[in-house]
Amino acid sequence: MNQPVHGPHAHSNASLSALMFQVILALTPATLYSFWLYGWPAFNLWVVCVGSALFWEALFLKMFGKAIFQHLRDGSALVTAWILALCLPPWAPWWLAFLGSFLAIAMIKQIFGGLGQNVFNPAMAARVMLLIAFPVEMTTWISPQAVTSAQPDFATSLAITLGQAPQAIDAYSGATFLDTVKNQLGQGKLLSDLLINQDYSLGATFQGMHSGSFGESSALLLLLGGLFLLWRRVISWQAPLGVLLGAGVPAALAHFFHPEVYPGAAFHLLTGGVILAAFFIVTDPVTAPTTARGRLLFGLGCGLLAWLIRTFGNYPEGIAFAVMLMNSAVPVIDRYIKPRIYGRTRKGDPLPTRPASNKSGGEV
Amino acid sequence: MSETSLQDRLGYQSLFLGVVVFVTCALLAFAYQMTREPIRLALENDLLNNFSQVLPAEIYDNNLLETKTDIQAPWGEFSWYQASLNDEVTGVVFPLTAYGYAGDIEMLIAVRSNGEISGVRVLVHRETPGLGDKIEVSRDPWITEFNGLSLQDPPPSDWGVKKDGGVFDQFTGATITPRAVVAAIKRGLEFFEAEKATFLTPVALSEE
Amino acid sequence: MTDYSRLAKNGLWTNNMVFAQLLALCPVMAVTGTATNGLGMGLATFFVLVGSNLVVSLIRHWVSQAVRIPVYIVIIATLVTLTDMLINAFAYELYKVLGLFIALIVVNCAILGRAEAFASKNTLWDTLVDSTMMGIGLTWALVMIGAFREILGSGTLFANADLLLGESFGFLEITLIPDYKGFLILLLPPGGFIAVGFLLVAKRWIDQRLSKDKKEPTESAGCSVEGHGA
Repeated sequence: MNQPVHGPHAHSNASLSALMFQVILALTPATLYSFWLYGWPAFNLWVVCVGSALFWEALFLKMFGKAIFQHLRDGSALVTAWILALCLPPWAPWWLAFLGSFLAIAMIKQIFGGLGQNVFNPAMAARVMLLIAFPVEMTTWISPQAVTSAQPDFATSLAITLGQAPQAIDAYSGATFLDTVKNQLGQGKLLSDLLINQDYSLGATFQGMHSGSFGESSALLLLLGGLFLLWRRVISWQAPLGVLLGAGVPAALAHFFHPEVYPGAAFHLLTGGVILAAFFIVTDPVTAPTTARGRLLFGLGCGLLAWLIRTFGNYPEGIAFAVMLMNSAVPVIDRYIKPRIYGRTRKGDPLPTRPASNKSGGEV
Repeated sequence: MSETSLQDRLGYQSLFLGVVVFVTCALLAFAYQMTREPIRLALENDLLNNFSQVLPAEIYDNNLLETKTDIQAPWGEFSWYQASLNDEVTGVVFPLTAYGYAGDIEMLIAVRSNGEISGVRVLVHRETPGLGDKIEVSRDPWITEFNGLSLQDPPPSDWGVKKDGGVFDQFTGATITPRAVVAAIKRGLEFFEAEKATFLTPVALSEE
Repeated sequence: MTDYSRLAKNGLWTNNMVFAQLLALCPVMAVTGTATNGLGMGLATFFVLVGSNLVVSLIRHWVSQAVRIPVYIVIIATLVTLTDMLINAFAYELYKVLGLFIALIVVNCAILGRAEAFASKNTLWDTLVDSTMMGIGLTWALVMIGAFREILGSGTLFANADLLLGESFGFLEITLIPDYKGFLILLLPPGGFIAVGFLLVAKRWIDQRLSKDKKEPTESAGCSVEGHGA
């Protein structure tokens, strides 16, 4: 008789809330930096986003008859709301965050069956729906230079968050990098002239000194947060690498052949939401494929689609659309790239057995 | 039982289907005859109504519909109409198509004989509600900005939305739609200049 | 002998074409951006539904099984074309709003479905009652979806009602929320799906409440589907 062995189960101490806590920890530096860049209105927005997400989560948990505190404590709603806040224009009015939380938590997550059941990444789907529904509010960007040189006081900030101070916003607004570059290229201007005029430099991008979403600002801090998660094994490397390659390689190739028309890889990776998406969004375990190879493919698809939408589409930023499209492709990916069942090959056939055990085949 | 067996015969089935098709076709032919004239009138009324929006009543006294003429443009063939006052040509009306955000935008433009725009209207479009649909005159007076303009005023290089370095306002949140409309109007004016001789020669009315 | 109140309840609520059978979704999504458009489409479909079902019921003894589907389709297509021509000729303003979608009625499986399921087997009178109720059920469903999308999407109700019903009905147009920003996504095609989803939830919730009230004394735990927490 064979010796009894342990079951093929690996144990780790990772509970859901511990994982979520580490994600939050990784997001914190970039968030704090954004608060500093964009001032009180950004903080207000973040508070509204997180608060209303917890409110919607509790409400819908109650409606579906689930244990409210047990589910609230897992921190998933908090992370979703946090990422959503990072995807909004920093001075957006409160109702945008309130409604966005509703879309993310209630419509995308809870209606599909709650945590683990949603098809789409809640934050990305909510961002896309908001962008389609409120294109004006969702593209009113704030120039960080203006804010850091003249911070609005707290009273003005409240007015901005409550949507009562449009003239205050006008004084600070500015187009995003991606938007400007796309527009000017459309008019046949040369890329090299453009980037000089725009004060474009990798350093400025790393420091977040250009208009954009709340959390897209500092690629460097987001990158550090992402590397921290990789180090802690909260996320695996396949999906992030896929995004970076998927967006970077075509951008580099296009830039190589037509340097005056297509911006290069660094530009595409460091502007907009690519870094945020690569480390914090496509790594969402619920809406990504189950296998490592599947996740690599998923990431590649997200990156490539984002680059295609940015370059040839109508929108200057396409990462959110790309993630949603790839989310809907996940069942197909999972169908063709299956996890290997223990004791079987990838195709599902039994592993070849050793000749020795073959002889005693009839024993059991 | 005999009824069922009759219905099972191939001949009966073909005949029955044939009779049904014949009856319905006859009905449709009759209805077509009855509604043809009202539909034509409704279309004409609609066209005249559109003309009156782009062309002030005091600059023409002829029946525009009688002057319908076809012309070949770089983007395809279309029909145009000539306005005249006391037998002197005062302007032309012709359709334009802009390639907007959500497909084609059908427009109507009237140009006076001196090359000035008398009026432009958007007839059919599928642009985004609340953003691109400001090109409709019922929602926003934007389209009336073009009245009185020509290729000389502003100069051709300024025929664009402000975002592209031109002089026309775009809408907040929607640039593609106004950009397409401005480009189409410019295209129309250029075509008018190129074919001025044809457009401004009085159209020979076919006597009926 | 058919029970008319049952037919009515069936058409208006229990077996409502949109909210229970989930048929007719193509026109539902396409035109219900406003309550007025929903009403117009509902009325046009109503006319075709009643007309074609009456004809089908009238000839039901002579139609042989093998060719019944082509026959029904020819009848429906004829009525749709007639409706199209009549609206084009005599209500041109309405035609400009609904024109594109009237042709869609012909592919509306609800009508063929009703012809097959009811009209081909029942008397003229029963068919009249059934198709009228089904038509009214469809119309109110379209108006509801249109109203839902219009109120949340643009803050008005029955906008342009005067185009559909004539000048005297202009008063129907209400601006519910002045200065409304507009929740654009509800006016766009995805909004149709979202609106139908929410209204389906509402209908099933009402049904559940009603059946709970009825069954409460006998089986009290009957309706608990979910609930590992409460």
